[in-house]
Amino acid sequence: MSDPGKMSANERLRHDRLTFYKEDIERIDRLLAEFLRLSGAKCALLIDKEGHLVTRRGEVRTIDMDTISALVAGSFAATKEMARLLGENEFTALYHQGTRDNIQLSLVGDRTLLTILFDDRTTVGMVRLYANETARKLSEIYGEANSRTTPDPQLDRDYGNSARRKLENLFD
Amino acid sequence: MVQINFALKEVNCKIVFYGPGMSGKTTNLEIVHQKAPEENKGELTSISTDGDRTLFFDFMPLDLGNVAGMRTKFQLYTVPGQVYYNSTRKLVLQGVDGVIFVADSDAEKLQENIESYENLIENLAEYGKDIRELPHVIQYNKRDHPNAMPVDELDRTLNRFGVPTFEAVAVTGEGVFPTLKVLAGMVLESIDRMDNRRSSASRPAPRAEARAQAAPRAEAPAQSAPAAAPAAGGKRGQAPARPAGSPARRPVAPRGQAGPRPVAQRPSPSRVASSAARRRGGAAHADADQTRGTRTGGGRGVFVAVLSTLFLAAAVAGVVFFVMQNQQG
Repeated sequence: MSDPGKMSANERLRHDRLTFYKEDIERIDRLLAEFLRLSGAKCALLIDKEGHLVTRRGEVRTIDMDTISALVAGSFAATKEMARLLGENEFTALYHQGTRDNIQLSLVGDRTLLTILFDDRTTVGMVRLYANETARKLSEIYGEANSRTTPDPQLDRDYGNSARRKLENLFD
Repeated sequence: MVQINFALKEVNCKIVFYGPGMSGKTTNLEIVHQKAPEENKGELTSISTDGDRTLFFDFMPLDLGNVAGMRTKFQLYTVPGQVYYNSTRKLVLQGVDGVIFVADSDAEKLQENIESYENLIENLAEYGKDIRELPHVIQYNKRDHPNAMPVDELDRTLNRFGVPTFEAVAVTGEGVFPTLKVLAGMVLESIDRMDNRRSSASRPAPRAEARAQAAPRAEAPAQSAPAAAPAAGGKRGQAPARPAGSPARRPVAPRGQAGPRPVAQRPSPSRVASSAARRRGGAAHADADQTRGTRTGGGRGVFVAVLSTLFLAAAVAGVVFFVMQNQQG
């Protein structure tokens, strides 16, 4: 990672925040839909390492997205520490087995986690096979997004003022 | 790390309650969960021991709603305070956008507060973050404790970077929302400021100019955020102690050179007087030096004059000696 002190404003922004754009998310969504079709999994979530949901596809009606995202990120972070103790950098895939539902996690790039929820309609082997392929394609999309030189879209100019008004309303 | 998702039209920020064990971090979160409007809050999830001590973290999402077309959400986390759990504490700090340091006002907990604050600085440093660049505030909790230290004393010991501080009795809810409100404001301000900074650096001239005009507007409300918090109260347990001027406008100062301090932390009049006296003393010193310099210059002149006189005397003596020799001859 380059020295934050020597970055341009745009580089600094990419270092300090994670931004996803509509066209990239549309490509990612298509990729996830194809993955679900091929693997037979129920649901695919893309979550950043800080526990924020990036996008999702599949059956997600009964799941609290915010909480599962935070817990998945926490779970992954904890295993990273275990990996470090074993002399590994980090584990790139995790698997949680339940009686009915299971979760498979795969690291994509260095900032996001592909989270697959599946049941006995498919097998862990099928899920892993297609998850690896999907993770590779997702990395390519990230690479293209990062190498883009066009100026990034920005938040609305009124964002700061509007946020402050909302805070006043929420806390008073 | 702030996540901005233009597809979902969402902005996600991570706020962490940090502090020593039993200082009231989870209680803060529970109060936020109890009192936040139903439509703004998600489920409160705790990964704790049987004895209700936080093992990994407590978590709750807080939805600010639609902000200029973007749904803005805060993910609120607590860390386990016990020294033993540093590795998990560090994990929760990953990608943090703002920190509320919950200190225990009890005099006997002072050392634990100091160590925990040091630990926060170290853990942030391991992620390449400098606490001076991270929005953070300090909450002096348990102000109703009979052994609570005076706030000024806590300030001197803990508030090394002059950040906003708040008095609280989290268990009754006092001070909880004012603390979160100011910190949340600082986090959003930092997002907005980052966007403005980038735009002025990267956009074509006319648009950059337009953003530059917008910048002061973005800063101004930063003043209003703390100002909007209830006035500082000397009463024990009174909520917001000292919003400390404008946190967002305060320039980040290097360690030991903290920027404008909160009013209560500014030097006392006597200190101001003494520093003014020092400045005056300094000026007097400079005058003396100048005087000495002048005197030194005068001495050099006298020395030259004496030398010239001696030279002249020697020349006259030589001439006289030469004349006398000729007369004898």
